[in-house]
Parts: sequence; C-alpha cells; structure tokens
Amino acid sequence: MMDDEIAILKTKLLEKEGELADLKRKLDQMEKGNSRLTVLHESVTDLPPLKSHTTLSNEDIMRYSRQLLLPELGVQGQVSLSNKSVLVVGCGGLGCPLAQYLAAAGIGRLGLLDYDVVELSNLHRQVLHTELTLGQPKALSAAGAISRLNSAIHCVPYHLQLSRENAIQLIQQYDIVADCSDNVPTRYLVNDACVLTGKPLVSASALRMEGQLTVYNYRGGPCYRCLYPSPPPADTVTNCSDGGVLGVVPGIMGCLQALEVLKIASGQGSSFEKQLLMFDGQEGRFRSIRLRAKQAGCAVCGETPTVTKLQDYERFCGSAATDKCRRLNLLTKEQRVSVQEYKEILDSSTPHLLLDVRPKVEVDICCLKTSITFHLLVWRRRNLNRSRC
Amino acid sequence: MNTEVSILYFAKSAELTGLKSEIITVSSNVTSEQLWQHLEEKHPRLTVIRDQVVLAVRQEYVPLSGQPLTLREGDEVAVIPPLSGG
Ligand SMILES: [Zn+2]
Repeated sequence: MMDDEIAILKTKLLEKEGELADLKRKLDQMEKGNSRLTVLHESVTDLPPLKSHTTLSNEDIMRYSRQLLLPELGVQGQVSLSNKSVLVVGCGGLGCPLAQYLAAAGIGRLGLLDYDVVELSNLHRQVLHTELTLGQPKALSAAGAISRLNSAIHCVPYHLQLSRENAIQLIQQYDIVADCSDNVPTRYLVNDACVLTGKPLVSASALRMEGQLTVYNYRGGPCYRCLYPSPPPADTVTNCSDGGVLGVVPGIMGCLQALEVLKIASGQGSSFEKQLLMFDGQEGRFRSIRLRAKQAGCAVCGETPTVTKLQDYERFCGSAATDKCRRLNLLTKEQRVSVQEYKEILDSSTPHLLLDVRPKVEVDICCLKTSITFHLLVWRRRNLNRSRC
Repeated sequence: MNTEVSILYFAKSAELTGLKSEIITVSSNVTSEQLWQHLEEKHPRLTVIRDQVVLAVRQEYVPLSGQPLTLREGDEVAVIPPLSGG
C-alpha cells in the first residue's frame, strides 16, 4: 500500500518536473525573442511610421478594461494612446516609473534614451533595472523590462548622448517628449529641440526629498527658457550624485509625469502647461504655482527668437551633460597631501592635526581615526550669522 | 504700512539660507525687486541663484520687477530655484 503511494507520488513528481522544464524552455525562448525584437540603437535613424489603429482588439479590451471604463479615457482615448509615440529622455529615477506606466497603459511607441549603464547605486530608485542587468546599457535594461510587461509596445532603446547634432532628428519622430534627465545642459537642449519641432515637453525633476513638474511648450504655456532664461552657475547646481535623493521621490514625480503624458496622449490635455507643481516629501505637501503664458521676449519661443537652431549647451551652461563629474576647484598640487604622504606622516609619528571638514553623513560612512571632525558647512553658516548680528 | 509675510524656501534656497521658512516684516507695497534685495541682504548666499529663482506670491509667479506686490498680512512668498536632478 505504502509502496504504491510512493510510486504514484514519484510519477507525479516526474510529470511536474517535465512541465517545469517545458515552462522554463518557453520563457527562455520568449526572452530571447524579445531581445531580438528590441535592437539597441547607438545612433539616431528614421523609424517607420507607427502603425495606425482605429479599433481595439479583444485582447486590448481585456488588458485595458479597467481604464477603458473611465469616461475620461474610453475607447477613443485608448485607441489614441496606441497611436502615440513618447520619447523618454533619461532612463533613471524619473524615466523608469514613467516608462513603466506608459507601457502598462498601452502607449504605441516608447523611445528610451540613456547614454549610461546600470550601476548598483542606481537600483534604489531606477526601478526597471535589476541586479541581473548591472553593467548593461540602461536603455536596453529598461526596454527588456518594458517588453516583459507589455510585448505589444514598440520599444526603441537608444544608447547614446542626446546632442545638438541628433536631437532634432530624434525628437521630430515622437509626439510627446518627457524630460527625465539629470543635468542642466540636457534640460536646455531638450527644451530648445521641443520648441523648434513643436512638441509638448513633460518635464520633471527631483533632488533629495523634493520634486518639480511642469509641462512646457504646450497650448500657449511657457517653455523652460521663458521661466529660466539664463542657466545657473555650474558650481551652484546640486545633482543626485552629490546631493543624494530618496528613491521614491523621483518615483512619485515620474508617476505624475506619466499621468500628464497619458492625459495629453489620449486627448484630455494637461493641467500643468501654466503651472509649476512642487512636491515636498519631507512635509508630505504639494504646492502649485501659477505661471505666466509664454514670453514674447523668450530667446527660443518668443516673437523674435535668437535661438533658431541648437547650440553648444555644455558651453552655455558651463557644465558637462552628465550628473557625474562636476568641475572641481582643487588646490594646487603643492597645497595638497596625498594619501601616501599622509601615511608617511602617520608612520613617522610626525606631530600633526588632521581636520575632517566633510558633511556629517560622509563622516558617518567612514573616517580616519586620527582626524578631528569639523563640519565646514555648519561653521560657515554660523560664522555668517555671527557677522550679521 | 508694514506687514508680516512668510517666506518659504525651496530646494537650493533652503540649503543656502539654512531655513525652510521664516516670517519677515516688509512694507506692503514693496516691489518684487526690493523684496528679493531684502532677502539677499538677510541671506547674502542667496545672491548666486538670483538669475534663476522663481518668486511666487500667493501661489502665483511674479517676475523680479519694479511693480508693487500689494502684500497682505500672512501672505506666503515662495522662493523656488529650479531642480535639475532625476
Ligand atoms: Zn520660451
């Protein structure tokens, strides 16, 4: 009796193992198929026009049924989404959630642009990338995740740096542009290219615990230059790699960006073409600032524009189009002490005083036992207050 | 006539002043330029963001100009430099 049961269980187990192997093989094939379909673009080429739909398939109706029920969207809105293309500039903390929701909602074509590769320090906020895609181009990693989510989306990964040479050719192929970039020169470049090609620009940004969102160049609203005619001095810009950012904050902003893209793409219009939305994650508070209409005197979208073609934006902003290497103000070589030289000082027991002037968080990460911490920023601020009193 | 308004500092301006908000007393018909000048005098480090800052009074953008703001008691003035990270 017992032996019979064991035999039956063994047969069942074998069957299940066979099924499992079958499923694994199928999954493998599909993933391979996907990576063959999504070709990584390393330069800008002209894509064939997006296939135009007038109706929804049965599968579409099943997949999108919960949003189709909304009178604001409806069948017309869903068909409209499937006929629209969106370019996502930057597949980072903003671009990942944005692309994910656009793909889930059934956007026709998604251009995913990023010049960078996936690093471990990205994973806390760039939620389409995984440990398995470390080292891969972000555009490809994001495209893989997107096609697993919705294989009907035409995904175009671009592993390249957006530049004055390629931006117009690229942007004119898309209906809506989402600025998810991480640096100032790219923000001006994307803005000018959108104005010159007449595309709405859904723009968001995030740093630390704060976020901002505006739709530029849309229905008489301002462009980025209308609001910020001159770029900030490079050394006043804080980016995510030196200021830090809590991952969910760009996540929230990217989701809001997705909402505005979907509203524009489905024909509902946006709420932010003359509004600046600010999110303060610390206080859990949103604020909305009413903006002026586009400015007659704007250098690019005004009545007599001086910017009629793309410029050298790195020069214009005095900084590189990346959030990585900031221009550093180093002391001369003679004024600096290398780690090797400091080791010699220690080893020879030379009397000395080592002040660690970095911010507290950096000291908490690591510090030298022989140092005395002395927070320069705190001291500067205190000194400033004292001199005022 | 003088009036008390709250100044709200966002992004870089909060970092530069070390404050998220403060209450100041200014003339109710101060211009946006004079108000900004006043803030710069109080917090000299704000000078670096002068050309990029968005100033909003009662949740509405105001350009830096010689137009009087007609501030009322308790009005909120937001100092908003752009964020560029993502
Ligand atoms: Zn403009």
